[in-house]
Amino acid sequence: MLNLLVQSSINGISIGTLYGLVAVGLSLIFGVMKVLNVAYGEFVVLGGYISFWLLTFFHIDPFLSIPLVAILLFIVGSILYKTILANVSSMQEDLRLKNSLLITFGLSLMTPQIFTAVWTADVRSITPAYSGTSLAIFDYRIGFIPLLSIITCLIIVFALQLFLNKTYFGKSVVATSQSWKGARIVGINVDRTYLITFGIGLAIAGIAGVMIGLIQSLTPVVGMHWTLKALIVVVLAGMGNLWGALIAGIILGIAEAVGVIYMGQYASVIGLVFFLLILMFRPQGLFGKS
Amino acid sequence: MLEIKNIDVYHGDIQAIWDLEVTVQDGEIVALVGANGAGKTTIVETIAGLLKPAEGSIIWDSVCINKLPANKLVDFGISLVPEDKSLFADMSVLENLEMGAFRSASRKQKEKSLEYVYELFPVLKDRAHQRVGTLSGGEQQMVCMGRSLMSKPNLMLLDEPSLGLSPLMVKIIYQALKQANKLGMSILLVEQNVRLALETSNRAYIIENGRCINCGNSSTLLDDEHIKEAYLGKI
Amino acid sequence: MSKYKIYLLGAIAAVIILAVVPVITQREGTLTWFILTLLFIALAQSWNIIGGFAGQINLGHAALFGFGALVARIILPMGVPFVVAMLGGALAAVVLALIIGLPVFRLKGIYFVIGTLVLAEIMRNVFGNMFPNAFTLPMPMIAKYSMVNRYYVFLVVAIIATLACYLIRYSKLGLALMALREEEDAAKTSGVNVARCKLIALVFSAFLAGLAGGAFVYYAVGIHADYIFSPLWTFNSVVIVFVGGLGSIIGPIIGAAFFVLLQEFFILFIPGGFHLIIFGLIFILIVIFLPGGLIQFADGIGNKIRMKYAAK
Repeated sequence: MLNLLVQSSINGISIGTLYGLVAVGLSLIFGVMKVLNVAYGEFVVLGGYISFWLLTFFHIDPFLSIPLVAILLFIVGSILYKTILANVSSMQEDLRLKNSLLITFGLSLMTPQIFTAVWTADVRSITPAYSGTSLAIFDYRIGFIPLLSIITCLIIVFALQLFLNKTYFGKSVVATSQSWKGARIVGINVDRTYLITFGIGLAIAGIAGVMIGLIQSLTPVVGMHWTLKALIVVVLAGMGNLWGALIAGIILGIAEAVGVIYMGQYASVIGLVFFLLILMFRPQGLFGKS
Repeated sequence: MLEIKNIDVYHGDIQAIWDLEVTVQDGEIVALVGANGAGKTTIVETIAGLLKPAEGSIIWDSVCINKLPANKLVDFGISLVPEDKSLFADMSVLENLEMGAFRSASRKQKEKSLEYVYELFPVLKDRAHQRVGTLSGGEQQMVCMGRSLMSKPNLMLLDEPSLGLSPLMVKIIYQALKQANKLGMSILLVEQNVRLALETSNRAYIIENGRCINCGNSSTLLDDEHIKEAYLGKI
Repeated sequence: MSKYKIYLLGAIAAVIILAVVPVITQREGTLTWFILTLLFIALAQSWNIIGGFAGQINLGHAALFGFGALVARIILPMGVPFVVAMLGGALAAVVLALIIGLPVFRLKGIYFVIGTLVLAEIMRNVFGNMFPNAFTLPMPMIAKYSMVNRYYVFLVVAIIATLACYLIRYSKLGLALMALREEEDAAKTSGVNVARCKLIALVFSAFLAGLAGGAFVYYAVGIHADYIFSPLWTFNSVVIVFVGGLGSIIGPIIGAAFFVLLQEFFILFIPGGFHLIIFGLIFILIVIFLPGGLIQFADGIGNKIRMKYAAK
């Protein structure tokens, strides 16, 4: 029994870091721009699909395709921002929230259809040659790909943290999230900051998507599922805490993996229930500030 | 020199400023005084580029600036110290000040500017690593002014610097203002504390309901009957 | 004639015309179109109460519809007349809203939106797993299945929903809701009991959504738990209300007609669910450029016409 629990937990960690990564991307966008991107999960799926194509047609290793996917999704994010979210940056906070919510909601109606058109409704997985190989740690096994995925997620979050804290542009992003007016006063081009933040957020989504394609699978309609996961983890962790989001994601991942043992297919309800409980009793999240 | 020429400013569909004309010569301290809601904040925020005038123009050093985005104005040497301070609450005092030198022109002189700010406001040096959200109102105002000074402005716009501050704090702030002015920085000062504004400034404009109803030498205005009655309290 | 009288006459005329439709045509296709439109009118109006009047973007509406449908379907084989089953569904939806919805309803802003979305997902997950098999209508009902009966059921439900919206909109409650939509804190200080108003609005919204769900069960020969809780029901309601005109009474009606019409039209030319791409696009464009929906558009044209005549 213990064996099963530990093994499940290990599996849970790998999916959990992915939960954490998507939460990081989503909360970056929301924290800085006060925009709720309800279509976030769609871009996770898009990233996965792109990597799938790169592997299938160009034989590019999925992990090596990550920078390319990131760049492509950054571009997509920039275009989207410019076309449909541009006027949002001049709105007040609650109006901004409502409008961005509705606009991205409309987007999330469209994308599954677009994905179906391009990639068909078949379930896709990214399967490079080394899929299925695993390493042994003591009595347990961890898949090679999940291990790489965990490491990649950690690197990305670490890099993001460095970017935000050490670079001038990163600092301007943080400043903009704390005071929109203050940012403009000190000379920050808020609109451009928003554009780049949105692009980075989507790039992170795409990166997560690559690994989701490797570890799980991709279908045109699974985007909303990932958006929900991201939302749940963001609320669980509290806004504004990168590492907190990662940790909360891992907690959720482990809870679900272990939950499957006892609750079977109802395990996904765990996350949802966690979420509601936190919302009601500790709305600032596990790691957020009051 | 700052010249505001016949500007009209709207908040949505509602007109807030009518046909305003204001000038600030180099090295001057000019005050905008008036009651709450008269439009003074609207005026400085328009100069700072956060609002755009529907009519008229704003000229700074012979350049028409009213169509420029707010973030460009720092490069022209204009800096706003807003009424709500707009500080980066989760950052430290030092980080806030450093953000003031964000634009590359002033970035190189960051160390010197920091020294200067600490000279004017020694308490900020003690609290350099404290989160700005935890400071007192007066200290926050110092950070706000300090942040503005970090960009080495030629014109500082201050919106109600004395609001909510203890008399001691007000004294410190105003002393710093005068010192900075002595080094050549022009100041446009919005104040509800009319006496303080008129005592500090060279010239002043009286704003009522979005219009300028009087202007002139500050010391002359201090003796003006209407001003005394409306704002200074006739004894 | 006063504007009010015109609207009243128009409404009565519309109801009479609609009542007569099944007499004129018994074609299944046409009746289906009408039924779907009436269904969406009812569902959209029920969302309108929370989303339009109160301004709370509830993304969990499908849960209310689905639960009403589920309960109605469970009660039906017990031999009760379907009206009772429908009402049972409606009441069940209200109970659901009160028990689980209330704590979520106290949330604000982004948390409210996410909370309702997640709540609906929980429902779909739980009930989808509890009832993995499809429900079909009891055999005797299928044998006696009459489109015309269903038509009138939906007509009545749509009328009830629209009437409820109208009454709420022009009541004190409606005023309070719109006040809190604009500025919740200001409304509170003006004496509006915000929590209670939201609660009452929720009850109405849930009742109507559950009623629509019950009606749907009566109409659809076979349903799947996963399907009736599908977020698409929420999405469609939101899109319809927005496209038609948020917060207005006629808006959802126009929106529903437009929506179903477009859907039927597109299905002819575009396979599968691709019409959603067009809908999504229209929706986005409306949110950005025409937030008042088609009503705003119609008003705009009406104004232009009026101005032309005034000039003359």
